Amino acid sequence: MGDVILTMKGIDKSFPGVHALDHVDLELRKGEVHALMGENGAGKSTLMKVLTGIYHKDSGTITYEGREVEFSNPREAQDAGIVIVHQELNMLGHLTVAQNIFIGREYMKGKLIDDKKMNEEARKLFDQLGIDIDPTETMSRLTVGKQQMCEIAKAISHEAKVIVFDEPSAALTEAEIEELFKIIRDLRNKQMGIIYISHRMDEIKVITDRVTVMRDGGYVGTLITKDCTKDDIINMMVGRVIYEDPKTESAVAKDAPVVLKVEHLNAGRMVKDVSFELRKGEILGFSGLMGAGRTETMRALFGADPKQSGDIYVNGEKIEIRTPQDAVQHGIGYLSEDRKRYGIVVDKSVAENSTMASLENYMKGMFIDKKKENDVAQKYVELLRTKTPGVDQLVVNLSGGNQQKVVIAKWLVRNCDILIFDEPTRGIDVGAKSEIYQLMNELVEEGKSIIMVSSEMTEILRMSDRIVVMCEGRKTGELGIEEATQERIMHAATLRE
Amino acid sequence: MEKIKQNAIVKKIGFNRLVLIGVWILLYILFAILTPVMKPNTSFVSYSRILSIMQYACFMGFLSLGVTFVIATGGIDFSIGPVMFCAALMGGYQLTSRGWPLAACLLICVLVGTAFGILNGLLVTYGGLPSFITSMASMMIAKGVGSVFTKTQSVSWPQSTAPGGWYRNLLSIKAGGVDLPIGLLILFAGAAICAVILNKTKAGRYILCIGSNREAVRLSGVNTKKWETLAYILCGMLAGLAAIFYVAKNTTVQPGLGDTFNNDAIAGCVMGGTSMAGGSASIGGTLIGVLIIALLQEGILAMGYQSHYQYIITGIIVLVVVYVDLRGRRRRN
Amino acid sequence: MTDKKKGNAFTDNPLVRAVGLQKIVVLLVLLLMIIFFAAVSKTFRQYPTILGILDGTYYLAFLAMGVTFCLITGGVDLSIGTGMFCYALAGGFLITHKDMPVIVGILVTLLCGLVMGTINGLIVSRGGHAPFLATLCTMMIVRGLGAIITGGASITWPSHSSPNGWTRMLFKLPVDRTMYPVGIIWVILAAILLSIFLNKTRPGRYIIAIGSNKEATRLSGINVANYQMLAYIISGFCTGLAALAYSSAYQSMAPSGGGGIELNAIGAAIIGGTSMSGGSGSIAGTIIGVCFMSVLQSGLPMIDLQANYQQIIIGIVLIVAVYIDVLKNRKLAR
Repeated sequence: MGDVILTMKGIDKSFPGVHALDHVDLELRKGEVHALMGENGAGKSTLMKVLTGIYHKDSGTITYEGREVEFSNPREAQDAGIVIVHQELNMLGHLTVAQNIFIGREYMKGKLIDDKKMNEEARKLFDQLGIDIDPTETMSRLTVGKQQMCEIAKAISHEAKVIVFDEPSAALTEAEIEELFKIIRDLRNKQMGIIYISHRMDEIKVITDRVTVMRDGGYVGTLITKDCTKDDIINMMVGRVIYEDPKTESAVAKDAPVVLKVEHLNAGRMVKDVSFELRKGEILGFSGLMGAGRTETMRALFGADPKQSGDIYVNGEKIEIRTPQDAVQHGIGYLSEDRKRYGIVVDKSVAENSTMASLENYMKGMFIDKKKENDVAQKYVELLRTKTPGVDQLVVNLSGGNQQKVVIAKWLVRNCDILIFDEPTRGIDVGAKSEIYQLMNELVEEGKSIIMVSSEMTEILRMSDRIVVMCEGRKTGELGIEEATQERIMHAATLRE
Repeated sequence: MEKIKQNAIVKKIGFNRLVLIGVWILLYILFAILTPVMKPNTSFVSYSRILSIMQYACFMGFLSLGVTFVIATGGIDFSIGPVMFCAALMGGYQLTSRGWPLAACLLICVLVGTAFGILNGLLVTYGGLPSFITSMASMMIAKGVGSVFTKTQSVSWPQSTAPGGWYRNLLSIKAGGVDLPIGLLILFAGAAICAVILNKTKAGRYILCIGSNREAVRLSGVNTKKWETLAYILCGMLAGLAAIFYVAKNTTVQPGLGDTFNNDAIAGCVMGGTSMAGGSASIGGTLIGVLIIALLQEGILAMGYQSHYQYIITGIIVLVVVYVDLRGRRRRN
Repeated sequence: MTDKKKGNAFTDNPLVRAVGLQKIVVLLVLLLMIIFFAAVSKTFRQYPTILGILDGTYYLAFLAMGVTFCLITGGVDLSIGTGMFCYALAGGFLITHKDMPVIVGILVTLLCGLVMGTINGLIVSRGGHAPFLATLCTMMIVRGLGAIITGGASITWPSHSSPNGWTRMLFKLPVDRTMYPVGIIWVILAAILLSIFLNKTRPGRYIIAIGSNKEATRLSGINVANYQMLAYIISGFCTGLAALAYSSAYQSMAPSGGGGIELNAIGAAIIGGTSMSGGSGSIAGTIIGVCFMSVLQSGLPMIDLQANYQQIIIGIVLIVAVYIDVLKNRKLAR
């Protein structure tokens, strides 16, 4: 490790209602691979966005190569030599590899683009990195791993001094990761500073020199990787005190009937051979890190996305779910993690949203029975304690928590027995959160069954009777609430094949 | 201003619609003043002109009502004008050259329109094609089918006095020497039915919600493709109905035309407050929008200009109205 | 570990990939079509017919090449068919009714195209309108303008025999009583220039990039709005060129005409492999598509199908071409 190249000190950033970064420190040296770790929502990405000028910090200082800097956009950061390799790829699928790498700064020969020279330069770059990619290949024809390599090559071609990898390995195969690590070691030897964001504990141990851990937007500490164990890091990541009491024992009888059974579900890249059971009156928590395939599992189960294989049984009977219609027919309701896109129709009223899934029951002959519709909407507004001036209020005017209640009402009006709650409290303030929790408890007491996908450890431990943990599309653990601890869940969530 | 908006009556009719009615009245006054200036010895204020406006508004109204449903889903239908012509040609050809009974021929008009609606709907929803290109393709098909069917001849539906001319009474009826615009009443009745469908039935509810957020509706377990197709079918059917009122006004139909009416219909629709982005639509607004278009058309002709000016004006109207809607949406987000 | 997603031996053949599968298939179908028409109809084989087909190809080629740029950005230009008539009417009106020199007429025609293209570009890139709606409105506007400019009269550009008829010779050169289709030269020249522009210059590259991924292009520090606008300006200018080609090939042009031709042009581009969803397309493919369309149009009457069937068939061809494009994109997304 060489001299310090980048220091972020006391970085503070607030968004309306959220203190996203609370005086975070980070120090990066030349020739160092520095891991940045933390649970979902710990503030890692926000910190990197502040560094590269996508967000502007409220206070704190960034010192880069001995000078205090503040970039106003990613382009400026890039020009100064700080580049970020994004998790989601910013590629132009129709162009070739070389054209992608040099977009916006093409080599010219007179008035014309010198593609030959660009191909040569790209090839040189790849040789230097020891990657075997044909620069003339169309980008969309490469595997995701190769596309990632191209992003890295592009970053390096900017004469970067600091490279940020934002979960680079999430979509890579074992062999590709090996290749990636080789490149990273190379870059380290060339005295570049590398920030490596990942959830994968074993990778951190292999590739990084130091680890900085963040939690809830705050700085926890920095460790020398080779001197610490995996457990040390996990403890730092989850070390929060849980204010609300976690559930200690399941309220569900051991012999409660299984209402939903999923066997060997496969769907796309993100759902691999997932099997689980849901019992009557149970809250089944689905835990895992970002990109573990939980939402994808739920969407495939619900028929929102096509699945390749897998059997689904409701109340012991095998059923076929091809579209959301089928799922709803069988009494399954899905509360999406992205409320605005998939949950509500924002410029329609509370009443209209409430009866969306069960309009046929609110008809008087050919016409919608407006009174009956309003009555039922009103009933659930009261039952769920939704704060709205009236049932004819447009949903867009409600707060996040109340919008969520409208979505819940939609499925209750439909009288669904199996409810899938995907991140039910995301973007909802604390007060509304506990109301949603209370509501979920009431629902299971009434005999409904809930699958709750959540990225918040506290939420999982507080609400679930049983916990399924996923990692990279596979089920990697199943814990009864009695045996579940943050550490055990985190272990399963980082358990790779 | 806010006070006016909060007034009970204003709220009932809708502020925007009141503004549109105001625009209509202002335009009428404007034409009344300008017409004698531009063209001496001509008057704009006469019953026959009003009647002409109403008659034009009749078939335009049905076209506009239909396309309102499609625009409400977030789609567009550019085939309505030519489909109307195709329907009028096929019905009229059966009537005049094959001697079919009039009632059957009127039915043919509606059926032809419906058939094109089904074609568009299926291609857009199940085929996944963009609605604008699909409907432009079916516009060509409608023009071609119309020409082929009549062997490129224009078709003249019978005059009022001729046997089988009673269909013209659907548009206006002579009673005591005065032409009564029955057609307008029928249009209003049709609009009332459309308003009921849009606002009171499952179909209308789902059509509006699909336009607003298709994915959320699908994930509520609703067969979105079915309801979206229905919007196109309604649109086609209403274009078929429009054909009847078109021939009742003009009697003669030529093959290969009709696309100029697309823009007028869409203009009427967006002026009335239906958003091109989908999700919100107003049948009443569409009606007033169409009346404004009809007034413009009559006024431009009365002042001695040709209908070409109308094309330019409607083009600009659509651009401006949609831009205002876009900006409003952007500001809200 | 494989580099590429799976394909079969044929589609992975370097030659097939360089040219594009769709272009090869369309070219084959085109050849079959020509052989079929030539075999069935004697008239189809005659020189005047071939000249006629070429006349119908020139203007369509210019329109289709122009709209290819719009399609590549993920947009569309519906004003080109009517626009072509309007600009030709404006130029022709100055020559025939105002006794202006022919060169002025030509320049005005081209200028009209440029101006309308710029207006379309501004409305789409700055106003944020959906391209189809914006250009539909301008289509109505130019339709009205064309009629207003000429006062509703039809216009015929000077004929071959008249002293000002040299514009016609630009596309058909009479030598010893035989007409030579020199228009081919201009079309090929334009195709080469536009192809170089699209593939070898920065603006062309950025136009492709915008259609491929607008946000990523913006993040690369490229002024997306400017290049989007440029695509419409190119389309407008090409429409001006098409207006010259059209007016030199045909007798009279009625005002308010030209509607529907834009669909032939868009259809040609899509048949040639340009995607409606943007990001991919080629001038060569568009030219193949244009030949396909014009042979189809000229050939159908030769097998005793009335001219009206053309519209139906073109409508169907358009739907099929777009559907294939939709399927291609679905496969890519997977």
